[in-house]
Amino acid sequence: MSIRAGALRGVFGAPVSRYDQASALWLLAPMLAVLLVVAVFPVLYSFWISLFDLRLTRPHRVPFVGLDNYLEVLQDELFWSSVWRTTSFTLMSVTAIMVIALAMALLLNEEFRGRRFLSAMLLVPWAIPYVANGLMWKWIYDSGYGALNGLLFQLDFIDKYMVWLGDSHKTLALIANAFVWKEVPLATILLLVGLKSIPADLYSAARVDGADLWRRFVHITLPALRPSFMLVMIYETMMAIRHFDLFFILTEGGPAEASHVLAWQVYVETFRKLSFGTGSALAYIMALVTFLLAFWLIRTLGRKL
Amino acid sequence: MKGLGRNVLLFTASALFLVYVLAPVAWLVSSSVQQEAEITSRPPHWIPRQPTLENFEAIFQAKEKKVTYETRRAGDPATGGYIPSTARDLVPSMWNSLIVAVSVVVLNLLVAVPAAYAMAKIRYIGRSTSIYFMLTTRVIPDIALVVPFFLFIRTFGLLDHLGSLVITYLAITIPFSVFILVGYFESLPDELDKAARVDGCSRLQTLLRVYVPLAMPSLVAVVLFTFLTSWNEFLLALMFTQTPASQTMPIVVASFASDFTISFSFINAAGVLAVVPPVLMAVVFERYIVSGLTAGAVKG
Repeated sequence: MSIRAGALRGVFGAPVSRYDQASALWLLAPMLAVLLVVAVFPVLYSFWISLFDLRLTRPHRVPFVGLDNYLEVLQDELFWSSVWRTTSFTLMSVTAIMVIALAMALLLNEEFRGRRFLSAMLLVPWAIPYVANGLMWKWIYDSGYGALNGLLFQLDFIDKYMVWLGDSHKTLALIANAFVWKEVPLATILLLVGLKSIPADLYSAARVDGADLWRRFVHITLPALRPSFMLVMIYETMMAIRHFDLFFILTEGGPAEASHVLAWQVYVETFRKLSFGTGSALAYIMALVTFLLAFWLIRTLGRKL
Repeated sequence: MKGLGRNVLLFTASALFLVYVLAPVAWLVSSSVQQEAEITSRPPHWIPRQPTLENFEAIFQAKEKKVTYETRRAGDPATGGYIPSTARDLVPSMWNSLIVAVSVVVLNLLVAVPAAYAMAKIRYIGRSTSIYFMLTTRVIPDIALVVPFFLFIRTFGLLDHLGSLVITYLAITIPFSVFILVGYFESLPDELDKAARVDGCSRLQTLLRVYVPLAMPSLVAVVLFTFLTSWNEFLLALMFTQTPASQTMPIVVASFASDFTISFSFINAAGVLAVVPPVLMAVVFERYIVSGLTAGAVKG
């Protein structure tokens, strides 16, 4: 059997040996089983639940309502304002992440003493749990004794301590800042991979042609970086849309509804109102939206493997 | 002159870089070793004038001490530095986090290594389907899994049990582990496979004797990612744990944050404890993490 298996390797389109087929299935079986139970089944089940009016406050009567939960969600004004807030949180965060990460990746792409130290320190925000990150920023933004007030006061930018997270005009931007700080390292590392794959002779050729630093950046670096830039941007967009932890720790959706985003609404609907039907419908809508984005990502990554 | 200009630029950029990355954490650490009186000074003391470890002591001794209103007032009457009664849950919750994380790591390796080997090195019908299947499961948002998981886990009586966390964390870690490993196995030469098979090794033997020893760097990356993901996970733990018996570290720490009577210095000390293990791991094993992220292209 080993001879048959050996014979077919490397010959494109050669028939698959029965031994290979069987052993592949055995090796894959544990993963397929686990993913079916913990990923595929929940997703299908979630859709099934979304067709029922399931409320934990009324566990014995669970009428089938078809797509009514979806209609109810789509007619809810709070849903649309949450969509808007999620969108603006995502736009703010992703823009800032891409700008900061690109700057950091460009720095780390240079050869200089201390570069390794910088890239090790870059992992600090990445490794910190989101809960601790939220706690840390909550303390920094504190209106009574926080570092942000202290710093701005000492630098004479403000003449008295201000309310930060409690100000509904600033909340989303401040949460986005905490999110950006934690997400930048990953984006930087991924962009750096893209930068390193640009052939050095492109730059030396451009230098011979008399292109200055700025032109080399615009005409070589940016176009060559496009694929990894898109990949990181889509990934971070998905992360921002579904983000929950910081909203829980920093504001619980408040003040009023200033940080009431979609992920927070799913939480409120299911675990505060205990309405699992509409909660599932909401979660399903969110999953579909992120999945459309993810589709592109999957195709790119699938082609790579 | 050009060299000097470049150096000044690089130095300035590096300084900005370090301030951005480290200043918030430095402030967290600095305020965790300040007393309540000092932490509430305006403007803040960036460097503590009387550093103290009493916040950490409070966490580690919370189990022995009976905390009542009187004892906590008596502990620090001038400032009223409140130590919450839930302080005693913090150390056990870190054990819970550790147990969950280690279990998830072990199960991940058992499941992901064989699957990744099959995808990378064996030609079989359905190969690309299984790859796309794996990638698709990777992008399911965890918030969409919460409701079905909750009902599922309640049916099996696993609510408030560490097992529920282990099971659900597999869903968010396995696809990424497989992805990293497939990338790595593919980079190893096919000839190794051929040679081992000619020598009479079965597929499983080839994997265990030839590829696993060679794939050590990517295995370390998988262990680190899985551990950190489990250690840091919040949303699912929030839903499935109810009592200190199963609460993990992020849940207990979050409960401090929402209690307004607790002193800031205590919350910050808890935050520092939560941050130290993952940050140490990440910085010590930086090389493996960066190579893992690079191979895996995107964190799961």
